[in-house]
Parts: sequence; C-alpha cells; structure tokens
Amino acid sequence: MSEITSLDRENKAFRQLLERSAFLLLLISLVGGITIFQLFKLSVLDTNLYKTKSEENRIILVPVYSSRGLIKLSDEEIVVENVVSQDLTINPSKTEDLEGTIEKLGETLGFKAVDLIISKQNLKKNNKTYESFVIFENLTYEQVARYVMLKDRWPSVSLKIQLRRFNHHGPLFSHVTGYVGRVNSEELISSEGYTYLPNALIGKTGVEKFYENIFRGGLGYKTIEVDVHGKELRQLDLVSPQKADDIYLSLDKGLQSLARKELRGRKGAIVALDPNTGLIKALVSSPDFNPNVLNKTEPGNIPNILNDDQSPLFNRAISGNYPPASIIKPFIGLLGLKEKAINWNSTIEDKGIFQINGQGRRYRGWKEEGHGKVNLKKAIVESSDVFFYQLATQLTIDSISKFLKKFGFGSRTGIDLYAETKGILPDRKWKLAAIGESWFVGDTINLSIGQGYINSSPLQLAVAMSVIATRGKAYQPRVIERVGNKLINPKLLYEVALFNQNDWTKLEKAMISVTSAWNGTAYNLASFGEVTIAGKTGTAQIKSLTDDELTVKEEYEGIRVQEVNRDHALFVGYGPLPKPTITVVVIVENGESGSAIAAPIAQRLIDFYVRGNS
Amino acid sequence: MSNKTPLDFQLNTQLGIKKFSLSEFLRDPLLVLSLFSLLIFGLFVLYSASSQSINMVFKQSIYIVIGLILMLIISRLDQSVYKSFLMHLFWVGLFLLTWVLILPAEGYEVNRWISLGFISFQPSEILRLFLPLAVISYLTRKQMNRTYKDWTVVILAISISSFLIFLQPDASTSLIVFASGLIPVFLAGFPLSVLFVSLILITALSPFIWASLKLYQQQRIISFFNPDSDPLGAGWNIAQSKTAIGSGGLTGKGYLSGTQSQLDFIPESHSDFIFSVLAEEFGFIGITLLVLLYGFILFRVFSIAFTADTEFSRLAVSSIGFIFLIYILVNMSMVVGVLPVVGVPLPLISQGGTSILVHLMAFGFVLSLKKGQTW
Repeated sequence: MSEITSLDRENKAFRQLLERSAFLLLLISLVGGITIFQLFKLSVLDTNLYKTKSEENRIILVPVYSSRGLIKLSDEEIVVENVVSQDLTINPSKTEDLEGTIEKLGETLGFKAVDLIISKQNLKKNNKTYESFVIFENLTYEQVARYVMLKDRWPSVSLKIQLRRFNHHGPLFSHVTGYVGRVNSEELISSEGYTYLPNALIGKTGVEKFYENIFRGGLGYKTIEVDVHGKELRQLDLVSPQKADDIYLSLDKGLQSLARKELRGRKGAIVALDPNTGLIKALVSSPDFNPNVLNKTEPGNIPNILNDDQSPLFNRAISGNYPPASIIKPFIGLLGLKEKAINWNSTIEDKGIFQINGQGRRYRGWKEEGHGKVNLKKAIVESSDVFFYQLATQLTIDSISKFLKKFGFGSRTGIDLYAETKGILPDRKWKLAAIGESWFVGDTINLSIGQGYINSSPLQLAVAMSVIATRGKAYQPRVIERVGNKLINPKLLYEVALFNQNDWTKLEKAMISVTSAWNGTAYNLASFGEVTIAGKTGTAQIKSLTDDELTVKEEYEGIRVQEVNRDHALFVGYGPLPKPTITVVVIVENGESGSAIAAPIAQRLIDFYVRGNS
Repeated sequence: MSNKTPLDFQLNTQLGIKKFSLSEFLRDPLLVLSLFSLLIFGLFVLYSASSQSINMVFKQSIYIVIGLILMLIISRLDQSVYKSFLMHLFWVGLFLLTWVLILPAEGYEVNRWISLGFISFQPSEILRLFLPLAVISYLTRKQMNRTYKDWTVVILAISISSFLIFLQPDASTSLIVFASGLIPVFLAGFPLSVLFVSLILITALSPFIWASLKLYQQQRIISFFNPDSDPLGAGWNIAQSKTAIGSGGLTGKGYLSGTQSQLDFIPESHSDFIFSVLAEEFGFIGITLLVLLYGFILFRVFSIAFTADTEFSRLAVSSIGFIFLIYILVNMSMVVGVLPVVGVPLPLISQGGTSILVHLMAFGFVLSLKKGQTW
C-alpha cells in the first residue's frame, strides 16, 4: 500500500517536473528568441551600419602640415627660417594639481619668474580644455637634459618638438616680416578650408600675416588607425601636403640697414620704393623690435615689448598719421595750374603774413620777414606759406580734396602689410561728420600747407611723390618681389593726367632746386650729395601757433621746451635725375627741421642706393 | 569460453575486471566531447580577447584541466555518496560567505574573494552550484510530500545566501544565486499560489529595492533602458559591444582580426564581453555554431535529467541544466543590449577560474546521476 502511494507520488512529481520544465523553457525561449533575433539583426540586417561605426571608431584622419615657407631676399639670402624648439606640454586631464606641478617643474628646471608668469597665464587660458598645452617653451639643452633625467616625476608632462621662426637679422626687417604666435580662436574660425592645430603658429603681423596662406602651404592628410585611447597604431594612408613656397622680399638689405641706422635713437619712419614698380626697397619704423623674442627663438621679455610706451610694434611707416606739411605744396601748386588760378609766372608779394582780403585773422608764414616777390617755383623752392595761403583762397576745398584724392591721399595704397592707415583727406562732409562743424576758408588755408585736419602715412607720401617722378603713374607698393619662382607684376594703381605735360617737368625742376639752388630749403644737400635729387622738405607742426601777439620765433621758444611738442621733420624726394629709380620718404618725429634732419638722411639713402645699383 | 580468446582477457574477466570502455569511462561521451570542444574553442577566443596573452590562456587551461579531473572524479561517485552530504555543504558555503565579509582578501576592491595563498576564489561562485544541490537534497531527503515547513527552510536558506552576497556588494551575482536556488524549488513543486502572491509583493516593493541600490547599479539599469543618455558612460560598453557584434556580419572579420576587440574598444573583453569578441571575429555563423553547441550540451543534460531514476537525480540535473541555460542567456542578452549589464560570464568560455571549475563540477554531477551508471 505504502509502496503504491510512494510510486504514485513519484509519478506525480515527475509529471510536475516535466510541466514546470516546459513552462520554464517557454519563458526562457521568449528572452532567448529576442536575443537571437537581436543578434541576427545586428550582424546580418544592420551589419553595414555597425561596420561603418567600427571603422569610424578606429580610423581617423589627421592633418599633415608643411613646414612654413621661408622669407628670403632676392639673392636667396635667408631672412626668416624655421628652427627646432623643444617645449614642455602638459595634459590637464591627467594632472591633479596643475599650478603646483608647473611651479615645481619651473623650480626644478630653473625657469625664470617671467616664464612662470607666462606659464600660469597659459594655464588660465587652457584650464578647461582637455588637450595638452604648452607650459614652457624653448628649453635650453641643460633644461632638456634635466627634464629627461627626472621625467618620471611628472607623467602628465611631455617634451614636444616644434618648428619656430628665426629672423637672421634680428630687428632689421621686423616691421616687414612681422612675427608669428599661437593661433587664437578668432583665427581658427576665420581659417576656412584649413585646419590649424590648437597650438599651431600663425602670422600675427607683417608679411608673416599677409602671406599666411602661402607660408602655411597645403594641407595634407594621413589616415591612421588608433586604439581606444586614441594612440596611433599605424599609418594607413598619407596624402602629403603641398610644400609651402618661399617668399622673396623686394627689400635691399644694405639700404634697409642704412635707413635703420639713420633713425637709431629717434622715433620716425623711412620708406624707400622704386617709383617705376612700387617695390619697397627699405621700410623702417623706429623704434623697432626683435621678432625673435615674440617668435620665442631668442630670450627676451615679451610683456616689455607689448607695453613699451615707445610702441615699437607700431609700424609708423604705414600706420602712422602725420600732417604732410609742406610736402603738400607741389600738389596744391599743380591744382592751381590746372584750375588756371595761377601760371608759372604768377607772382605775389610774401610779407610773412596773410589775411583774407587783407583783414581778419593773420596767417603767418614760417619766415618772419617773408619771401618777397614769389612765383610758384620760388614758393616751392623756398617753401613760401603765404603763396599757398593766397592760392588756397582762389581754390575750393571741393576741388582740392578731389585733386589730392587722385594722388592717393585719404585712401590705402593696398601694400601687402596689415594695419595700413587711410590717413585723413578732409572735405566738407568729413568735417561735418568728424568735428560737427561746417568748413571754413581758414581750414582750406591750413590745408594748403599740409596742416590742420589732413593726415597721411609716410607710405602715402612716397606713392604720391612717385607720381611726379613717373609723370603720372602710381604703382601699388609691395614688399615682396616673388613667391617661389613666380614673379609678381607691378600693378598700376592709378594714373594722373595733366592738361599740360610740361608742368611735370617744371615742377620737378622746382623740386631739384629745393636741394640744389642756393635758396632751396634743402640746399645743404648740395654740399655732400652725390646724385641729383628732386624733393620737398616739410616741418609738421604738432602745436599750432595761435598767439597773434607773439612772433613766430618767440612762440616757438616756448613750445620747444618739451620734446614731444617739437615739430616733425619731413622730407620726400626721388633720384637720380633724370631717370629716378628710388623715392624716399623720411619722417623724424620731433626732429624739428625737415631740411636739417630729414633731407640729409634721404640724400644719403638715395646716394647709397644709386651707388649700389650702378 | 572460446579458445580463440586471448589468455590475459580471460584472466581479467575471470578476476572481475571489466573491459575498458570509453562510453563507460566518460559516462556520456557525446556530452563530454561537446564540452571539450567548447572549452578548446573558448581558449582560442580567450587568446584573441585577452590581447593575445599566452599567460592568461595558460592559467585558464590549468583551471580547465583541474575542472575536468574534478568532473571525472565526481562523475564516478554514486549519488548515495554525496546526496545527504550536499545538504551540509550549505553550511560551509554560508561560513565562507561570512568569512569574505569579515576578513576580505587584500588587493581586491570588493569583498568577493577568499585567498588561499596559491589560489583565490569567490565563494559566491561555489554557492551558485551547491545551493541548488543542497536545496534538492533537503527537499528529497524523505519520500513524502513537501510541507510548508520544508519550503520555508529552503527559501530562508536561499534568501540568506543571496543577501550575504548582496552585502559584498555584488547585486548581480546575488540575483543569480537567488534564481539558481529558486529553480529547483520551482521544479520540485513549490505551491503556485504562494509564488504568485510573492511576485505581486516583490513588484509592490520594487521602489524600495531601487532606493537601496548603489548609484552605479542604478546607473546601469538607467543606461540599459536609455543607452544614448550617456554614450561615454555606462551605455558606452553596450554601444561598443553592439558595434563589435554588428560589424562582424555574417562571416566575421576573421580570427585575431576584430578591430573592436584587438584595439580595446570592447570593455572586459576577456570576461563578461567575450561573446562580442567571438561574434566580431566569427560572425553570425560563429554565433550559430556556438548556440548549436550549447544547445546540444543542454539537450544531453535534459535527456539525462528526464531519464534519471530517482527524483533527486531528475531535479538536480534539470536544475543544473536550467542554471547553465540562464547563464548563457543572461550573458548573451546583456552583450546585445536585451538585458541590463550584469556581471555574468559566458559559461566555459569567459576567463575566470572559479567559474570554469564550478561549471565542470556541475557537469560531473550530471554525469554521475545518469541512469544505469553505477560504480
């Protein structure tokens, strides 16, 4: 009996086991079915999607860069080249105490306090990025050796090699070549079609900036396989970048050196260009700077350069706004001839003082006693102010402004350097907008001697004067002569046609007399000058002489006390005659006398240039 | 006796020494053979998944050899030898679980390991096998209907074990051990009415369970339901695993040529995610072959279970079969993103000594419980 119940029970239990097993299997098959279907979906139905995903995971495109193009002179002499620099970079995501690490590192490797400050500035800028950034640049061999010895202490720091720019002539070409620096976010955004690395160097000023697209060369790509950490495992494909072209400056090294020497210790600018092509032969702005410090290839204090109140980074030659002063006179004279207000024989009596219709405000000439009987030629040679005051009253601001515009006043020349100024060519509209007043005859009178509102850069004066040298043609000034092997053709900016072509010759003769006639303002040049040059002196007033009661001399004595108030000395000239090959503008700030200070510099430069080219 | 029979054979027969037979030795040659193929295949996959580490493969092989020996030894034991003994093994397991909580092995972040100097193992893994066997042993100790007292005792034992593992903390193993314990209880005829009431209760309590979970555990579950919410965090593993499986396609990228596997894009590729490596390199065809092999093993196990002659045998073998099946399923479902990420290795393939040993020991019990096999 008990055996039967036991057997019964066992049979029941077995049946129950089978039932429940079947139920469990069914439940499990449900999940199993979904999983198997998912497997099938992944590896058969959607496999292409995942194949793409897996390729994207491991294969990445990395830009490959060309080394930066060199800057050379026309005789292949290298001005700027690339040198290897060793930098320390840090990976912020792998560093616990960034500031502490930098401090410790700086202390151990013997960096100066300045380097530490710069390094901490970098830290602030890059604090939130995950990419490595540079903390110490341009390590010396001792520092590299020390770092390599102790590098296990700083696992998140690594040594990187970077190419940097080195100017062989230091400051000599500084305002032409400019300097490079790390690319900033604005530059990254505006560089369409080109990808800079976050720490890449980019031209910041000068030729380095203007021809950045040529210097950087083409962009190549390499396809690399990476692991999950982004580490490069192998290179799959390489498209080499197009090599960057070298750029050849049009500058004359000898002339540039001489020009720089002439301005040493002064503030001012010199521009020398070939009037027949527009090629710049010398361009100096004083004081200048050593680009290697900014390029970080020579030690130096960058903040000192940036904060210097002499503004060495300011390119006076193209960005400086100066009153053209008497340099404007030949052009006003030409307008007088054109408008038939005067002819070469018209004369006036210069008594040193001018009043409109003989009454009202007294406009004084620079020469107290006046120049006596003056015609246009004499007015240019002796730089009579009163002659032009008189002429101005016969002209209108509208015609003067329109005429000067033809010579490039008030507009950029388009030189291949950044930050060129337009200068100021005032007219009625300009004055109303800028000053809020309407135009007075007195303004026209001031304008006729290049004072008052008018401003121009040394470069503009060089181009305007070259128009006279070429009998009407102005070429766009350029500091480079060729890119690689490709010569750049001169570009004609504009042409000025005169009613009477003889006027050019007569004007030039007057300007030759400036430097060679006994009464010329720059007659001092005749004593040492080797070649004949045509030119015009100018003395730009910083402080206008307003006091009617004092004589010119008396008032000057007061002003001269402070150097910054002293007049700027200007000279613009070209030579050799009759076939001019060089136009030179010299501006010496607070140099007081165009004839005594600026003109001799120009003569020496032209002499040097002509000597070298014959 | 035929005169043609060689003398030594006659002698042996006379002395009662049986003729050596492979099927006798292995108990179930087909099952053992398929297990063996699976293990060898697993070693090859492990070599690829471990960034071609001979060292890891060698270690795994040693565990396999020990496991096979244990399996053979257990398979030769009669159930009467261990049946009543298994019940008491539960106390040993409990002792070890308490041990790891009080005296954690040094060098591990979580208290899962016991270190015996030359070898370290996870008691929770061992309990996974012995808890169900102890449960069955207890339930079948008498030939009579199970009382509510019996059910209460086994449920209590299972709950305490799982809770101790949960404290390690190891929620996924705790869940697995709990399920492993419940399967024999269910198969042995646990009253369905009580089961339903408990299920309803658990559902009602789930918010409180959620609150008691650790943050990383909650995150895993969230990332399971919404993998795109955090593509670089918890969901990243699944996304990379799916990419690996999907990019394998039908035929796979070839052995040692899986880019996801070889370039470290698959996390834990040698343990929990080894299936992704296999799928990437051998493709859907490889997956199918693996599933068929597992299927065949299970088929053999259940055949043994349903032809066994005692209730203990039937329950033990079918429970082992279900637990094995659940392991496979949970692991595969996890790597394809059907289930949340729980740390469950792929049986007999994933790297891990304790796991290999326990699974092979389980198959030892299966073989020993096959009908008509006596020592």
